[in-house]
Amino acid sequence: MMISDTVSHLETMARQIRRDIITMIYQAGDGHPGPSLSCADLVTALYFAIMEVDPANPQWSRRDRLILSKGHACPAVYAALARKGYFDLSELPQLRTLGSILQGHPDMLKTPGIDFTSGSLGNGISVGLGIALAARINGLHYHTYVITGDGELQEGIIWEAAMAAKHYQVGNLIVFVDYNGIQSGGRTEEISGLEPIVPKFEAFGWHCQVIDGHNFTEILTAVANAKATPAIPSVIIANTIKGKGISFIENNNAWHKRVPTKAEWEQALQELGG
Amino acid sequence: MIKYANTRVAFIDSLAELADKNPKIVLVCSDSSKVIRADGFKAAFPDRFIDVGIAEQNAVACAAGLASCGLIPVVATYAGFITMRACEQVRTFVAYPFLNVKMVGANGGIGAGEREGVTHQFFEDLGILRTIPGITIVVPADASQVSKAVEAVVNVPGPVYLRIGSGRDPVVLDSDLPFELGKIRHLQVFGDDVAILANGHTIPRALAAAKRLYNSGIKAAVVEVHTLRPLDTEGIVAILEKTGAAVTVEDHNIIGGLGSAIAEVIAEKVPVPLARVGLRDLFPESGEAEKLMDAYGLSVDDICNACRQVLARKEGRSA
Repeated sequence: MMISDTVSHLETMARQIRRDIITMIYQAGDGHPGPSLSCADLVTALYFAIMEVDPANPQWSRRDRLILSKGHACPAVYAALARKGYFDLSELPQLRTLGSILQGHPDMLKTPGIDFTSGSLGNGISVGLGIALAARINGLHYHTYVITGDGELQEGIIWEAAMAAKHYQVGNLIVFVDYNGIQSGGRTEEISGLEPIVPKFEAFGWHCQVIDGHNFTEILTAVANAKATPAIPSVIIANTIKGKGISFIENNNAWHKRVPTKAEWEQALQELGG
Repeated sequence: MIKYANTRVAFIDSLAELADKNPKIVLVCSDSSKVIRADGFKAAFPDRFIDVGIAEQNAVACAAGLASCGLIPVVATYAGFITMRACEQVRTFVAYPFLNVKMVGANGGIGAGEREGVTHQFFEDLGILRTIPGITIVVPADASQVSKAVEAVVNVPGPVYLRIGSGRDPVVLDSDLPFELGKIRHLQVFGDDVAILANGHTIPRALAAAKRLYNSGIKAAVVEVHTLRPLDTEGIVAILEKTGAAVTVEDHNIIGGLGSAIAEVIAEKVPVPLARVGLRDLFPESGEAEKLMDAYGLSVDDICNACRQVLARKEGRSA
C-alpha cells in the first residue's frame, strides 16, 4: 500500500474513533473528551499502522505494547481497541458504569488489549522502561510505546525514568508527548512551564523529534526515525490541539472533563462527518 | 549472649540460589546494592540486575513493567523508601494489577534502623501495606527464616512484601525450623493464662517475658505471627479462645501492624482483653538497638506488665 493510501485510511479511522469517543462519553454520561480527542490521531496511527498486535491473542508475548500514561484519555484507546476487534463495539457506551470492562481509567485486568493499568499521571515512561527492559531479558524484539500528556511531565518520576532509560539504552522505548499545552487547571506554561522541552530531553540523552501530532505522515515518519536509532530511547513531541476535531471543544478547557448535551453531540457528529 | 546473623545476606544468598534455577527472577535496586549486599548477585546475573539509581518510584514502576512481561522482579531497598516514597506505585501499579513483584524492605523497625535515627527507622511499613488490597506481608523472625521465606514468597503469585533488618539481626529461632507462609507458630507454651503474639526481632523479648512470668506463676503461650496477610485468623482465634487474653509485641507503631491486625480479629471473632506492645505512636531517636527498644516501650518489663494488665482485665480486677 502506498503511504498516501495508508494516510487516507488512517484519517478515515481517526474520524470514526473521534465519533466513538464523543458518542461513548455522551451515552455513558462521563469522561474526558478534550484529552481523548487530543491524542486520537496518535492512538489511531499506533493501532492501525504501527504496532504489531493480535486482537485474537491480547497477551501475545511478542506484541508491541502501548502504555497510555495519560490514562484519562482512555476513550480514544477503548475506541481503537473495539475498532481493532479486541472486544465488541457495544461495550463502548458502558464506559465508567458498574460491571463494565471499561473502567474510568485503563485496567489491564479488565480490558482485553490494555497492556498496562494507568491513570495516575507520570508513571508511564517508568513502566515502559520496565517493559522495554523485559524485552531484552526475554530475548524479544517488540517496541514499547508510551503516550504521556504534557502536564504530567511536571511529575518527578518522569525524569527518574528518562535518566534510567538513557543509562540502559532502551532503544525499543518510544514516547509520544501529547503536547496540547493545556492541563486540568489551565495552560501548562501558566501553571508550571515545561519549556524549553526539547533541550530537557536532549540533555537526558534522548533522541528528540517535534511533529504535528495530527499529521499521519509526520507521525509515521517520526516512528520510523525513532526505530532507526536503536541505541537510545526516543521522544516524539507531538504538537496537538486539545479537543481536536470538534470546533467547540478545541482548545476549550471546559471540555477537559464534560459530557455533551444531545444537541452538542449531534453537532459534533455532523462535524466529524456523521 | 545474643547471637547475630545477617538477614540481608540471608535474603540475597537465598535469592541468588533461586535465580540460578529460575531465569525469570530479576533484582531491581535503587542504589541499594550495597545495602542488600548484592555484589555477588550482580556478578552472577549481570543481565538480571537493574539499578535505576536513587529513584524508588521508578524502581517500583519499572518492576511493575517487568512483571507484566512474565518476569519476577524483586525490588530491594530500605523499607520506608518502598512503602512511603513509592507507596502509590506499590498500590496502583503493583497491587491493583496484582503483579508478581516482590518487595524487600530493610531496616524494618527501630531495632533495625537503630543508630541511623528516624529517617532510616521504619515502623509504619506494615500498617501502610495492610491497607492496600492483595499484598502478602511477611515479617520473618531472623536470618534463617528469611532464607526460607524468600523461597516461599517467590513461589506465591502476586505482590509480596518481606521485611528484613539491619544486617546485625538477633538469631531468634532454631535454624532447623521450617517457614510456613500464612500460619502462626506456637513457639513456647507454658500454659493458657495469656497469649503473647510477636514477630521479627521482638521474639526473644517475648520469650524472655514468658519465662519471667512463669517464674512468678503466670503461664503464657508465645506465638509467632510472621505473616500479616494472609492472616491465620483460625489459628489466632483458637489460641485466644484458650487463653482469653492477648498481648501483641512488634517493632512497629502499635497502630496499623500486628497489634491492629490482632485487635481486628479480637473485635470481630473472639472478644478478649488485649494490650499492644510496640512504638506508642511517636517518633523515636538514634541509639543502639537493644537500648532503643528498651527505651521505647519494647522492654521485657513492658511485655510482662502488659500481660499482667490483660490478665487482670480477664479476671475482672484492677491490675
